Order: sequence, then structure tokens, then C-alpha cells
Amino acid sequence: MVFTTAVNFVRSRGPDEFWRKRRIFRLAAAFYGRKRNCYSIAVRYVHRALVYATKGRKLRKMDITSLRQTRVQAACEQHNINYETFREGLTRSDIMLNRKTLADLACWEPYTFKALTDIALRRGVDDGLINITKTESLDRIITRGSLQSNK
Amino acid sequence: MSLCRQSFLLLRRSVVQNVCFRVTETRNIKRWVSPTLKELKRRRDKIGPEPEKPRSSFLEWNYEAEIYAFGKRLGEEFDKKLLKQALIQREYANMQEFKAKEQVIVPLINFQEFPVSKETLSNTFKAVVAVLKRSKDLNRAQIFVKDFVLSQMNGKDVYELWDPQNPYEYLTTLLNEKGITEIEPRLCNQSAVNTILANFQVGLYSNRKLLGIGWGENIKIAKETAALDAIQRIYKDYVPK
Amino acid sequence: MSVLKRVQQWATFARIWHVYDAAWQNPFQSAELLKKYLMGMYKPIYHPSNDCGDHVIVINSAEIALPGDEWKKRVYFHHTGYPGGATWTLAWDLHSKDPTMVPAVYNSMDGNLKRRYTMERLHIFPDSNVPKDLMANVSNQIRQIRPMPKRLDHYPEQQVKEFPKVIDYPKDYVVR
Repeated sequence: MVFTTAVNFVRSRGPDEFWRKRRIFRLAAAFYGRKRNCYSIAVRYVHRALVYATKGRKLRKMDITSLRQTRVQAACEQHNINYETFREGLTRSDIMLNRKTLADLACWEPYTFKALTDIALRRGVDDGLINITKTESLDRIITRGSLQSNK
Repeated sequence: MSLCRQSFLLLRRSVVQNVCFRVTETRNIKRWVSPTLKELKRRRDKIGPEPEKPRSSFLEWNYEAEIYAFGKRLGEEFDKKLLKQALIQREYANMQEFKAKEQVIVPLINFQEFPVSKETLSNTFKAVVAVLKRSKDLNRAQIFVKDFVLSQMNGKDVYELWDPQNPYEYLTTLLNEKGITEIEPRLCNQSAVNTILANFQVGLYSNRKLLGIGWGENIKIAKETAALDAIQRIYKDYVPK
Repeated sequence: MSVLKRVQQWATFARIWHVYDAAWQNPFQSAELLKKYLMGMYKPIYHPSNDCGDHVIVINSAEIALPGDEWKKRVYFHHTGYPGGATWTLAWDLHSKDPTMVPAVYNSMDGNLKRRYTMERLHIFPDSNVPKDLMANVSNQIRQIRPMPKRLDHYPEQQVKEFPKVIDYPKDYVVR
């Protein structure tokens, strides 16, 4: 039988005591003290750990999302644009990048990220999302809106 | 009662029969599996890991075939005799003379030591290149080096291979050749100067143009890394003629 | 790792020292701001287990401004652990006893093992007299949340006199 999840792996009880206990001990291998070596104690903690694992699958995704958001926010702040404007500007410019990609760019490719914030700023200025007076650094970026406003 | 006795006898007969024929098809739990596996593991651990053996000590080793395949794998036509000569190390050759040319089973690189050291490998590679030059011509050898060495070095950090001792002096001589004599190192940034985690940022400028920028835990290191960066920037757009 | 890669790493994880003037600032809003610097949350390399937090020197902590009637109403609780060891201290009382004791930053962070080490990077001084060797580390100033207006009695007397007036007070008017 092939079990894709660890929970079903535990539930399938064979008649051979050795293999049945071995499954539990394999999962308890990293525990400390008697909950690693004594079966009756180990099995309780293994079950609890599996419950945590189930809950953690969801929490982990939430943690990663918030971490990426923090990183992108930090990088946005460095370039004087707030996060909401940045995302809105990118969406309006049809740049569909998710948090993961943006966070990776912010961390490893700061110059690329700077270019993205410039585009978002340009779009923000053109669409009236933000009001900044100094746009000299943004003049090199041409968007559809800026062409129309120049006419 | 009689039925019970009869069936018991039948069972016993069948057991005896099975033992006689030694074809026991058991459908019950195989309790011998775990002790057997444990015992095998114990013995394996007791012996310890197998020593690494040179390929040439294997039974099916064929030196001629290996030499031929080696040339084919590189995609070059080698002079077989020269190639064999190139793959024999000096120590091995001396030993062979001493043994009065006794024929033994030899690894591809005929050498005593195993595993082979990096130095031996590099020497042998040079020898192979030399063989190629003799078998074909210089141009072919150059193309070979370009394909097999330079392609692997693409995108690698230069300073992992090359560690210049006085980068700043080296940079000044480089720039003097280009006609730039005035280099001005400037302290651009510094933080936590009184702590162990001090950090300095030094930029090298010439005529208000940035040549290179570097960091370090003191100004001297920062200046030297700035010089390294400047050297890299000089050659960044360098195109060989 | 080559020399350039090494110094790049060194510069990426460099500890920056910031200075923050807490005069006339709301400590709770300031705490949210300082937390970012102390934990390194303003860097794109931030990770909770990443030791990338910076140092912050807070000056003029004696002149912080609590909003509304917080000075009178905010209570800090402490328990010694013994029976009857509970004490409740009002914010004004705590501030008069020790002006460098500002629990707002500590309370703004999540309670985990890193919080105490993060707090060690916060240096609070009641006035602007910071030891010189600490001040030499500083390479950045954090902008105040609220711009601090200059008080009338801090302007030179000459300038105040010369400032154009809309009306003149009557001679018998008593200025308090």
C-alpha cells in the first residue's frame, strides 16, 4: 500500500508488533527522552505531533506570505513608495508579479526592483494615485498614460 | 471426536510432507524478516565501509578500450601511443623500470596513488592537451581548451581563482597604462566604527568618475576591495581583438 | 568565497546605528517605528531568525509626550512573585522615577526569545548627552514622526520683536 500522508501510514496496523511499533518510532526519532524510546509514550506524542503538522501546513503558508509582504514593504519604503500604491501601479501596468517573485527580486535583484518601483511610480503619477513634485528620475519611463498626457 | 482426531492426523501428515519436500508456502506473518535484516545490518556495520577502489582493479577492465573511449568521449582524434605516454606518471614510470618492466594491471592514469590528487589531475590534463597538439595541430588544441576549460569558467568569480596581493598598486599600474594617473580614494560611508562589527565603504574616484566601490571592516580592506572592484569594472566591457 | 563576495556579505549584514530624538513624540507610535529598525524589518533581507537588526540611540526620552490623559490613566503592572507583591505604577509616576524606562518598544514586539536581545540594541538617554564613543557609531538619523515646533521662548528676543505684528497690545494690557 502506498500512503501519501503520514497520518494514514500510522493508522494501518499490521499484525507484526515490530513493524507496527517501528512506524511510530520512525516518526518519533527526533524526539527527546522517553517519548523517543518508550512506545506507549512515543505514540501519544507522535499523534500530537501529527496534529500539529496538520495545523502547521496552513500556518506555514500564512507565515511565508507575511514574511514576503514584510520584505516587499521594506524594499518599497527604501524607494519612497508605499506598498499599496506599488502593487496597484504594477497591476495597472500589466505587470503580474506575485509576492514571492517581488520578495525575491527585492532581496537578490535590488536594481530590478528599483526599476519596478519606478514603473509603479510613473503609473501612479499618471493615474493620479500619488502626488509627487519631482518626476525627473521618472521621465525616462514611458507609459500609455504619459504619452496621452503629453499630447 | 473421531472427526477431530482424523483432522489432526491429516494436519500432522501434511506438515511432515511439507518438511520432506521443503516447499513451505507460508501465508502467515514473516517474523524472521526483522531479525534477519537487523543481523545483516549488524554485520555490514561491523565490516565498515568498503575502501574506494580504482576502476582498473575491476575484473572487466580493458585499458585499450578505455583509452579509445576516452578519446571518443572528448570528441577528438588522438594518437593512441602518445596518449598512453601522457597518461603515465613519472613515479609510475620509474617504478616500472625498477620492476624490470613487469606488466601489471594499470589504471587510466598510471599512477601509484589513489584517489588521485588534484595536482596530478591538472598535470595529466596538460599532458592530454599537449598530446592533442602533437596528434593534430595547435589550433585544434586551442579550440579544445576553449571548449572544455573556458566554457566551464564562464560566469565564475575571477577572485576565487586569482588572489592579487596588492590590488591597489596593481590598479594604479593598470590605470597608468590607460593614462589615468590621479586616483582618489574617498570614504563614502561608515557605521558602527567603535564596535567589532565596524563597516566602511570606500569609493575610488578619478576626475569625479566612480572607478570602483568596496567595503570592509577597516579602511585599508575597504580600499583594497574597491581596487578589486575597479579592476573587474575595467575588464567588464573588455572585448578581445 | 572570494574577497569581494565576503565584503559584500559583511556590508549586507552591517549593523547600522540610528539616532532618534524622542522629544515631543508619542512613544507608542515611535515604538512601531523603532521596532522596524531594531528588528531589521526595513531591510529586504529580513527574516525572523536572521540577525539583521540595527542599533537605535534614543535621545531626550525625558521629553516624550503621551496622548490625551495617558499620563494619568495608563498603569504599568509589576509582580515580584511573592504574595502581595503586585504593584501598579501610573505612567507619570514611572516616568518621574526613571525617564529612560519606556516599556512601549518592548510591548510593541511579539513575546519570543529574540525580544530581549533586540531590546539590548536599544539605547535610551533622558537628554542629549550621549557618550562620545556611542555617538561616533551613528550613521543615520530617524526622522521624527511629528515635526517638533520651535517654542516662542526659544527664538532670540530680537527676532520676536522684529516680527511683523497685526495688532499692538494696549499699554495697560497684562501679558501672562
